[in-house]
Amino acid sequence: MGYDLHFGWTGAIGRVILGATRADGGTRKISYHIGGETTLPLLDKDPLSPTPLVALEICDNPEYWSPIIKNFCGDLVNTVDEWAKTAETVYGADLVRLYLTSTRQRNFSDIASVGKTLEAVLSATALPLIIEGSNEPRIDSEVFLKCGETAQGEKLLLGTAEAGRYRSIAAAALAYNHSLIAQSPIDVNLAKQLNILLREIGVQRDHIMIDPYTGTLGYGFEYSYSAMERIRFSALKGDTDLAMPMICSAIDSLTIKEVREAEPALQDEMAVRWEFYTGIAAAAAGAEIICVRHPKTVGMLKLAFAGIRSGADFTDVK
Amino acid sequence: MALKALDIYKLLPKKNCKECGDPTCLTFAMKLAGGKADVDLCPYLDDQSKSVLGATTRPPIRLIKIGVGERSFAVGEEFVLYRHDKTFYHPPGILFKVSDTQEPEEITATTIRVRDESFTRIGTELRFNGIAIENASGSPDAFARAVTTVEESADLPLVLISKNTDAFNAALIQVGSYQPLIHAATKQNFREMCALAKKHSCPLVIKAHGLDDLAGLAKDCVTEGVKKLVMDISPQSPGDFITISTAIRQLVITRQSPDLGYPVFLDATHPHLQDAAIALGIVKYASVIITPPLSPASAKAALTLRQNIYTDPQKPIQMNPGLYRVGTPGKDAPVLLTVNFSLTFFTLEGYLESTRIPCFMLIVDTEGLSVLTAVAAGKLNETLVRDSIRKFDVEHEVSHKTLIIPGYSAPLSGRIEEATGWNVMVGPRDAAEIGEYLHEQWKNHES
Repeated sequence: MGYDLHFGWTGAIGRVILGATRADGGTRKISYHIGGETTLPLLDKDPLSPTPLVALEICDNPEYWSPIIKNFCGDLVNTVDEWAKTAETVYGADLVRLYLTSTRQRNFSDIASVGKTLEAVLSATALPLIIEGSNEPRIDSEVFLKCGETAQGEKLLLGTAEAGRYRSIAAAALAYNHSLIAQSPIDVNLAKQLNILLREIGVQRDHIMIDPYTGTLGYGFEYSYSAMERIRFSALKGDTDLAMPMICSAIDSLTIKEVREAEPALQDEMAVRWEFYTGIAAAAAGAEIICVRHPKTVGMLKLAFAGIRSGADFTDVK
Repeated sequence: MALKALDIYKLLPKKNCKECGDPTCLTFAMKLAGGKADVDLCPYLDDQSKSVLGATTRPPIRLIKIGVGERSFAVGEEFVLYRHDKTFYHPPGILFKVSDTQEPEEITATTIRVRDESFTRIGTELRFNGIAIENASGSPDAFARAVTTVEESADLPLVLISKNTDAFNAALIQVGSYQPLIHAATKQNFREMCALAKKHSCPLVIKAHGLDDLAGLAKDCVTEGVKKLVMDISPQSPGDFITISTAIRQLVITRQSPDLGYPVFLDATHPHLQDAAIALGIVKYASVIITPPLSPASAKAALTLRQNIYTDPQKPIQMNPGLYRVGTPGKDAPVLLTVNFSLTFFTLEGYLESTRIPCFMLIVDTEGLSVLTAVAAGKLNETLVRDSIRKFDVEHEVSHKTLIIPGYSAPLSGRIEEATGWNVMVGPRDAAEIGEYLHEQWKNHES
């Protein structure tokens, strides 16, 4: 009995390149070509179709970072370059997503320190980077330009553009040939609208990743899941304004009641499972990059993504 | 090709006997046309009409009930590939697996856990659904003993797994009348398995790899008189499972392959892919999932994912408007305004609890809309805020007149100040930043 899991779709997801190797003018050890699917990622039998990537989120000022991560990682969280290196060498992440939380202090103005932090992280890890810049319109422009300039040639993914504030980040991405994250609040139409705004100021389709905004499991995940499915299907039906790969980060996972109030001995485990189940389901809905904060989730997701398609011994054990 | 209600009506007896449960033959015909009723409910149809109607009018996926009594559950009767197309109706049963080679104490412990464990989210109790008992020993006696051990502790839906007809006989003498799901009929043994299923009127799992073999086996079982079927697609990997289950869902809802119109079974047992298989099974069309007992963390995550995916996307879940307390706020505690969309409420509440700053949440009635949509639709406006402050007597709860509003409602700040006479502070757009905001802005505001 024949079946076609492309459902008559004609579109394909565009590709976004993250990270440049020496051959391409960067210093990364690998360059990811994200996207390219013609159906949902985990339905694609083609061995060349991309496996979802796992990014570990870190920050340069852990004051407001989850205490669960601070307990698990210890002093590491105070040295951002060491943290980035460990993400690659110990935790096995595909990408590092650096939140420049230092820029979120009141009256922050030390733009030069942003450049230094980024330089240190770039030399500590050879993984492609995602950089989350300022959260404050007053300094957006300087922070993003500094990041863009410092990492020129590295093909960063810069975050995060929203409908109300995307010009500074787009300017930095355009000036230094980086890609950017376009986030909209769980809605296929708003996602499309933002992509059109970005296109109108010159950001190319192959330099945008969609962040549909991911509510964690139990806290709106179902909305995000359906928004992701709808974005993906619109793309596969031929809407090029939505035909970008997606990035998903359920940042609430570590602060929700179930995790926060878990018995201390169970707290890491709860945090990891919460991130894991959210990440797997998001991948099934189309997300190409899954961001997590607990180091143990990284390994678990990577093992799962490798096994989901090959499965190796899935039937043997029964 | 689906028939219209009037075409169906012509084939019905037109007696309006009500024996199908509907008041008239016409209403029954309308239900059949919508795939919401089974043609077998009409006792007066001749076989020819039944066969004409059967394939095109029954729900694309047959409803199968497993177990009896309070904890029994039904799966199937799904109509869409994607929850946003309508909704998913029948959440998968997740059953913990035990083996007849385990010590009786272990079997009992697992059974009692499934019987008693539950956790409440958004007013709903989440539970696992039953016990799957595997005849790993191969011995009919051991199997019967294990089944009895489970049965002595709880009246839970069961899946009985064996390759041995004698073992089934021994087990079904004990529990056959409780409608356990029996696993599995294959191309080789389907006649014996169908005889067992018929004798005890149990639902039956059929197992084959490949859609043609599954469809053939399903037809063979129906010919043998067994229609309560569940399909084990014996996947080679979790990815293989979602590929085949997606294909089946697609083929049956478009009525291209009515022979595959049964719920799908998934055994998630695996040394390291178990959680991935469960998560994928939940989102991609598994109806009965069996797994070795899950750790407390996996258990909560799996049950929560199932609740999320099977929430009806057509109905936003709302909170009752009112003044809610986080911790034990004093008269000088901050008052934060937000909407009565439950998700917004729970997300903000979670972040507020973790700031450890006691405060009030003023929840206003936006009919379940989120902040962004409520502002856009004009549901969140200065009149609503003014009326809510009065209605919930906020002025007597606190000694100040400062209201923190969500970042996305910033355009309303001036109008709210005018209408209420309160000072308005615009909070962050993202609830995740509320801790930082309170520590910095609110504390500053106080000093």
